[in-house]
Amino acid sequence: MIPRHRCVIFAALLAAACRAGAPRAELPLPPPAPAPGDTTCTIAAGRAVARDTITFAVTDPVDPGHAPLPRNDAERLVFGQLYESLIRVDCQGRALPGLAATWEQAAGDRWAFTLRDNARFWDGAPVTARDVLASFRSHDATLAADFTVTGDRTFTVPASAAPFQRLADQALAVTKPAPGGSWPIGTGRYWMTSGDPASPDMLVAQPMARAGYPVVKVATVPASAARDALDGEAGVLVTDDPAALEYARTLAGYADLPLEWNRTYVLLAPGRDKPVVGDLRLESLREAVRGDARPAEWSGPGRSWFTDLEPCGVSAGRDTLGAAGRRRRIVYKQSDRSAADLAARLVGLGALGRGAVAAGVPATAFESALRAGSDAAYVVELRRRVYDVCRAALELPPWISAATVAPLLDVRSHAVVRRGLTRMTLDWDGTLRLSPP
Amino acid sequence: MTFRARLLLGFGAVVLVPLTVFGWRIRAVMTNRVTAEYQQRVAALVSVIRADLDRQSAGIALRLGALRDAIVQDNEFRRATVQGGDRSHLLDYAGDAMRLAGLALLQIQDETGRIVSSGHFRNEYDQSDPALPRLLAAAPAGTALVEARTAEAPFLALARVDSVRVRGRLFTLVGGMAVDSTFLARLTPDSELTVEVALPSDTSSAVDPATQVVSALDVPFVMAGDSARLLPARIVVSHSLASLAALRRGVALSFLVAVLVTGLIALLLASWLSTRISRPLTELAAKTADVDMDRLDVVFDSDRPDEIGALSRLLEAMTERLRAGAARLREAERRLAMGDLARQVNHDIKNGLIPMRNVFRHFAQAAGEGAHQLAAAFQDRQATVESSIAYLETLASNYARLYPQPARESCDVNAVVRETVKRVGETGQADLRLELGEALRPVRTDPLVLRRILENLIGNAVDSLAARAGNVTVSTGANGAAGVRITVADTGKGMTQAELNRAFDDFYTTKPGGTGLGLSIVRRLVLDANGTLRVETEPGAGSRFIVDLPGGGA
Repeated sequence: MIPRHRCVIFAALLAAACRAGAPRAELPLPPPAPAPGDTTCTIAAGRAVARDTITFAVTDPVDPGHAPLPRNDAERLVFGQLYESLIRVDCQGRALPGLAATWEQAAGDRWAFTLRDNARFWDGAPVTARDVLASFRSHDATLAADFTVTGDRTFTVPASAAPFQRLADQALAVTKPAPGGSWPIGTGRYWMTSGDPASPDMLVAQPMARAGYPVVKVATVPASAARDALDGEAGVLVTDDPAALEYARTLAGYADLPLEWNRTYVLLAPGRDKPVVGDLRLESLREAVRGDARPAEWSGPGRSWFTDLEPCGVSAGRDTLGAAGRRRRIVYKQSDRSAADLAARLVGLGALGRGAVAAGVPATAFESALRAGSDAAYVVELRRRVYDVCRAALELPPWISAATVAPLLDVRSHAVVRRGLTRMTLDWDGTLRLSPP
Repeated sequence: MTFRARLLLGFGAVVLVPLTVFGWRIRAVMTNRVTAEYQQRVAALVSVIRADLDRQSAGIALRLGALRDAIVQDNEFRRATVQGGDRSHLLDYAGDAMRLAGLALLQIQDETGRIVSSGHFRNEYDQSDPALPRLLAAAPAGTALVEARTAEAPFLALARVDSVRVRGRLFTLVGGMAVDSTFLARLTPDSELTVEVALPSDTSSAVDPATQVVSALDVPFVMAGDSARLLPARIVVSHSLASLAALRRGVALSFLVAVLVTGLIALLLASWLSTRISRPLTELAAKTADVDMDRLDVVFDSDRPDEIGALSRLLEAMTERLRAGAARLREAERRLAMGDLARQVNHDIKNGLIPMRNVFRHFAQAAGEGAHQLAAAFQDRQATVESSIAYLETLASNYARLYPQPARESCDVNAVVRETVKRVGETGQADLRLELGEALRPVRTDPLVLRRILENLIGNAVDSLAARAGNVTVSTGANGAAGVRITVADTGKGMTQAELNRAFDDFYTTKPGGTGLGLSIVRRLVLDANGTLRVETEPGAGSRFIVDLPGGGA
């Protein structure tokens, strides 16, 4: 049994770490080597006990088609074990080696990288600088255009105006297509198998190095069954369901660890200078959602990244459709309960006037509707922290330049971790990774 | 209009008019009875709905009462409302309670009208709507329709209000059942019955009394908004008359078929009957027409016991009297004609004899003066004598033609016509045309008589052209089963009615140099051959002389 005071100390450390790691618009380049014994970004509930298998229980769907860029907490947890970027940025914003073991400034205002010696793809092929170039070509043509291969495992990239930490973006994780077209082949410590025939809903990830790493199983469960997962063999449950969290707090074998406020719900309304939510009492939004939420805030310098996209060349545009051509409804993704609650609350507050309605649509239809911008407003969940604002801006609808963006709520999930589980590290963007044994 | 047509029309009217009236009456009675039945069904359904609404209202009241008791016992609710405890529990309370109680609408307000928990719209908390419970409490029977807001769309609900006190604070509970399409469909036993809710804001009425039977039930409605108030809404029950219309169409179609069939039968019956009635009349008319054409040999014999038989016998008696009268008339005419003829013969012979007597007186005087003088006188007056003799011969010939002795033998009409036309046509005075019928049966008459008839008629026709362009057409054809009709038509000057009236008189002529005996002789010859002669003429357009000869020449 882990002493209670150690859990309290751990939680206090984690909270301090998150406060200390408050995001900044541009992170200075830290020394590549972390301080030895620094555990500020380590998550551990009690003494780690060696295990053959760890089960991750998640309440969001995991879609291989999204890999390596996660779209929800479940995918962030899973993809974090499978894929690597050149570098990592820990919860305090420090750059750490990832696929690249070292880097240094080179002539011509460039960064020179050297890949890890033992870096290999899941299929056993060693990762070369050309593999990195090929991967970048499929993810970032601009970056790939100025990519210089200097050796089998060395290459240089220009030091642009974008922060160095952008290379930690999961979107730039080095992958290559899988022959079968399913999971892209990555370089992480785990590789995704074809699954467990006995449990079709269970994903099974095998460690690349057998020694010390447990097998990871990923079980996708509905929110209503999250408590059943805790009663079962779940090692880690990532959820924002208050009932499940409340139940977890009653279980001595689990520790409830709130993760970073890594998502922000915003209201996107086509057309500028339209105070869609200007006169509303947004402070009451907090109670509208069931999960852990707080009023949207940005404690770093400047404003939220999505409110100022002009440096990315997104200039103020014109609303060509006009309010009269739009349906008076607030559209949200049907599967997103918090978005549904927020849309309902906005309707209840009369955000679009009397007669406006909230409309939940399937995910695919939501993407289409958002792109078309033919509705009065959309409740959209955005990443709160991004390494590269301009890259993240590409995920916004094309009419964002002529839109009113109103931050609503910051939300976060909790990791309910079984005590004695293998330690994990927390990155700046909220990614959890199993630590080496 | 002919008797036959009148008979058909009358028969049709007698049959079709009653049938049409019958059909119309059947439709009217059927429509009234079915409509009355629909009205009864609609009224019954209105009663059922009224009872159902009362039952629903009682059910809502029961559920709200249970919730009221549960709230009083719920410590967490008490902590959240009075002590400011877990707000999320309070926000979710109405939703959970609403589902457990089987309600579709539940709203909990505090004493200020602020919504503290809403089951059907969780996130309308903190909104103020004090008018809703106040108006519901004021509604008759405490029940009214409300338009409940949700995030997605408003819905109509039948609602009541209740209240509960928690540590001195008054909370009102507004609960209700959805009045949606499912609720309304449950009230309608079949597809022809429709139940709709007409709110006061509905300006357009979809109910058409011409096609539906309608009845309505008034229900109070809470009009939300800045000027919230109670207004009457209506639950409208309508029964479609589509099936009745279809039934009426079916009946109309059946009656139409019946009318057509009956009309056809009536038409056939009337036709047969009219034929039976009109045929004897037509025959009588034809015989009467023959009598009118001096065919007094027509016999009106009939042994029918009915009116037509009596008419036939009456006509026979009249014809018999006409025959006697005609005979007497002919005798008188004959005597008159003979007298005229005698005077004419006397006059004509005297006209021929006077020159001869004068010549002989001259001869006598010359003979007294010597043979030489006699020879000279003879030489001088020989022409006069010969002229007088020729005149007398001509006169004799003319008189001889007044009454020839016809022979009775089989005669080929076409052959006589051809020969006569050929001979007359040799003069080249007119354009003569022949239209001879085929396979004519021979007639029994004297060919010379027939030729004289034709010569006179063709000659008159040629003369009528009077040197103007025209033609004369001689046609033959069958007349009845055995008779033959000969028609001599010209395009000449025709005759006036006055000329026609005297055309057959002896010695009446309009031609210079005419004897005035031609048509008289023709008429007599035709009658002697037991035939008839008719004339159709029009001044300036020509004349048609139609000779009908009886058969029997074979």
